[in-house]
Amino acid sequence: MMPLILNGLTPIHWALGGAGIAAVTLTLLFVANRRLGISTSLDDLCSFVLPTPYFLRDAVVSGRTWRMPFAAGLMLGGFLSAILGGGWSPTWALGMFDDVIGFGPAGKLAWMFIGGLFIGFGTRLAGGCTSGHGIFGMSNFERPSLLSTLAFMAGGIVTTQLVYRVVFG
Amino acid sequence: MTLLFVVLGTVFGFVLSRSGAADYNFIQSMFLFRSFQLYGIIGTAIVLTAPGLWLIKRRGRTALGKPLKIELKPEHRGNLSGGFLFGIGWSMAGMCPGPILVNIGEGKIYALAALTGALGGAAALGGVYRRLQSPFKLPPVFGAADVRLKPDATNARQFP
Repeated sequence: MMPLILNGLTPIHWALGGAGIAAVTLTLLFVANRRLGISTSLDDLCSFVLPTPYFLRDAVVSGRTWRMPFAAGLMLGGFLSAILGGGWSPTWALGMFDDVIGFGPAGKLAWMFIGGLFIGFGTRLAGGCTSGHGIFGMSNFERPSLLSTLAFMAGGIVTTQLVYRVVFG
Repeated sequence: MTLLFVVLGTVFGFVLSRSGAADYNFIQSMFLFRSFQLYGIIGTAIVLTAPGLWLIKRRGRTALGKPLKIELKPEHRGNLSGGFLFGIGWSMAGMCPGPILVNIGEGKIYALAALTGALGGAAALGGVYRRLQSPFKLPPVFGAADVRLKPDATNARQFP
């Protein structure tokens, strides 16, 4: 099994990973009446500096009380994962990007920033990301989520195939 | 409740971190069809969440007895085009929105650039939303000021 970039750890079995995601998704709905979705957090953060009617719409403001603590937890989860798995230290390591593309820190920051622009614009235009559309929406048999999921899988496949098999292949 | 959300987020973040869902190599391997890991994770998550959702909807109430309310996402032209754009970003960064935060927690410095970009992208979409509304048939924006215009059931479905 391929190791994780994080401290070369061996990943847990995919079934355990999927079960963990399902457990959190169902607990969030059953206990707190909330639909899993992470990309709206981007709108929450934007609304703090851009108090426009769009960013202060009901769908954003009404869910802030759960999304912001949840987002903090995501960071904490990554932090604990490092601490409990060989230690935490700031790193630039990026696996096969380093082996194949080989940009240094400045190039990586630019690459990640551009990737981030696509993530932010795309998820908000699609109305959700891997969690809200891919996990919750697909599990709830929602057509817009099926369309979005097919589209982002296609976008990812085309881009990675181009980057790793054509441009830097 | 706030503590519960932090705990759920932490468990979610830990699972994403340790399963490969927040790992650049595993994301590329998924899109290169070289590894089953991410397909297994997402597939298992859906296969287990779907019957759980069905049971919770059949009950119609939360654990605390409140009427269940699930906001359904609207269908529009942004689903396909926005989804495809997001896929480009997911491939480039090797992270979707949740894992951006997980990677920051893990100490991956470049993830801060991905977050900055994602916020910029979300801000840009917010800036052009009104212009995209008609061509992409995006839903209207309901804010505190538009209460008068807000239909009773925007897009929330009550169960049972």
